[in-house]
Amino acid sequence: MSLQKAEFVETKGGVVRKCPGTKNHICCGYQTIDLVEGCVLDCSYCILKAYLRDDRIKITRGEDAIISELNNTIDNAGGHIPRFGTGELSDSLAIDRRYKLNRFLLEYFGKKKKAILELKSKWADFGHLSEHLNPYTVISFSVSPQRFIDAEEKRTSPLYKRLKAARAAQELGCFVGLHLDPIVIYDGFEKDYRYLIGDIGRILDPSKIIWISLGLLRFPPAMYGLLLERKRKYLLTGEFIRGEDGKYRYIKTERIRIFRMLYRLLKDIDKGLFVYLCMERADVWRESTGIELKDSEGLIGLFDKRIKNIYGGAL
Amino acid sequence: MTKIPLSKIDLKDRRFSISYPPRDEKLLWSIGSIGIIQPVVLLDRTPFVPVAGLKRLQCARSLRLRTVEAVIMNLSDREALLISIHDNLSRELNIVEKALAIGKMDLFGLSEKEIFDVMEHMGLQPHKKVLSGFLAIAGSDEAFKDLVFEKNLSFRNIDSLIRFDGRERAKIVGRLKGLHLTESTLREILEMLHLLKIRKGSITAADIPRSENADTLRAHLKRKTHPILTSLQEKLKVIREAMALPPGVDIKVDPFFEKEYIDIILKICNEEDVAKALAGISGLLQAGYVRSILELTKGRVR
Repeated sequence: MSLQKAEFVETKGGVVRKCPGTKNHICCGYQTIDLVEGCVLDCSYCILKAYLRDDRIKITRGEDAIISELNNTIDNAGGHIPRFGTGELSDSLAIDRRYKLNRFLLEYFGKKKKAILELKSKWADFGHLSEHLNPYTVISFSVSPQRFIDAEEKRTSPLYKRLKAARAAQELGCFVGLHLDPIVIYDGFEKDYRYLIGDIGRILDPSKIIWISLGLLRFPPAMYGLLLERKRKYLLTGEFIRGEDGKYRYIKTERIRIFRMLYRLLKDIDKGLFVYLCMERADVWRESTGIELKDSEGLIGLFDKRIKNIYGGAL
Repeated sequence: MTKIPLSKIDLKDRRFSISYPPRDEKLLWSIGSIGIIQPVVLLDRTPFVPVAGLKRLQCARSLRLRTVEAVIMNLSDREALLISIHDNLSRELNIVEKALAIGKMDLFGLSEKEIFDVMEHMGLQPHKKVLSGFLAIAGSDEAFKDLVFEKNLSFRNIDSLIRFDGRERAKIVGRLKGLHLTESTLREILEMLHLLKIRKGSITAADIPRSENADTLRAHLKRKTHPILTSLQEKLKVIREAMALPPGVDIKVDPFFEKEYIDIILKICNEEDVAKALAGISGLLQAGYVRSILELTKGRVR
């Protein structure tokens, strides 16, 4: 893959932070480790396009300082099992083979045994990390129908490679995560998602899928103009409204209809799958999954329970 | 400075003119009252070519003046254009005039740096995107320039209009011309038209019918781009009309039907008002209106 210019900066602290969440929506309590800012994958809907001034990749150095931040956060987790990821402002794996950014984190989480690190990616290449994997690292892939990948995620790995890589991670003893995010409404999307979920059920071992997130396309207002300007037909087919957080989202009726359909399809694979909605309202949760959540604390509790169930006393 | 007969000047040669619109009633009145105060600048050619003061010359012709005071200069086209632009920089140029100046600088081969320099003095951001937007205005047809001038459109809305192809833009400009438009209404209308174009591939006359006012046009487009939201709004309107809210009571529903609650607002001056309002609300509850409104906010109705 051709790489954009990368620049290294020493950490000034604040690399580990809570996922900002969004007003009046339920957040999973994820925490991010912002090792890299900027992404080489160039997905057309990426909100980084609206925020970052240039396409340079900024890599933060300072392992000791980052580990000190992590220790501080994990030791003060207040009874919850903290989950961290490096895929908020970038893709966790896209440039990792070249820069070996995650290795120290894998080793740290493997020794700490009190929290989970999730490497979230659309780039199906983690072979260089194989010998460093441990049960506290979750390899995750964002997945979308191949038709959508061809149109909007042009520099990423194809779907079959992502699913194959996820299978490989399971065979190496890892739990994997899946993120159906962004889910996008376009002509024929329902059929494409049925096939996608069929593939998930056929290729992966559901007992080794730690979680699956569902997130319908949403973006800040600045992005809407860009999408119109760039004529992104796939991204603009559905009916958008402004949510309570000011972001553009599909109208609630549609969100509920689609979440309900996907949730049922996934549960048909295995009733035990842990499926959650990313940044959604409590009423959308209730209408589409039947799960009653009052606030983010409720969802964080579900995660704690899930992790305790599958890790037993190891966490 | 010398007196030049109007017949020796080519008034059709607008190559250095950046004035828009070309006709100026105030100037005509002023010259009719006291004559031309500031001499015009002419290029020393046969016939003479106006460099600065074409509008004054056109007024003179309308007023049937035979001669005008002029300064004759022997300049290259490029120098003549810069004189024309600098002659106008001290006044507030409208957006079309800025575009014409930029378009002509580009046509006469001025470098990007030279154009950016003038743009800064016109109060414009010296960026490539701004430059290309202004070049597009300069190259557009008169109907488009008229709309930009008459409605004093923002660059954002102009840029949005320019992104339609010529045929579609002409259709849109024709429909917008007679409407009273605020910047935000126009922005919304143009966004919806872009959305329709992206979804359907092109804009047809049926997409943008002749409308009495901007609100009617906006509602027509909204029905096409946001059918579910429009349907919910129409259902809400029907309920509101049927329920006849008691005086002092109002019900506010989230405009996008996102919030699953509604606000019931009471305007109260005394205890009697409270009692009346509560009785009114109780009546609405019993008739099932409140339930019907709440149903629209649950995401179950389309």
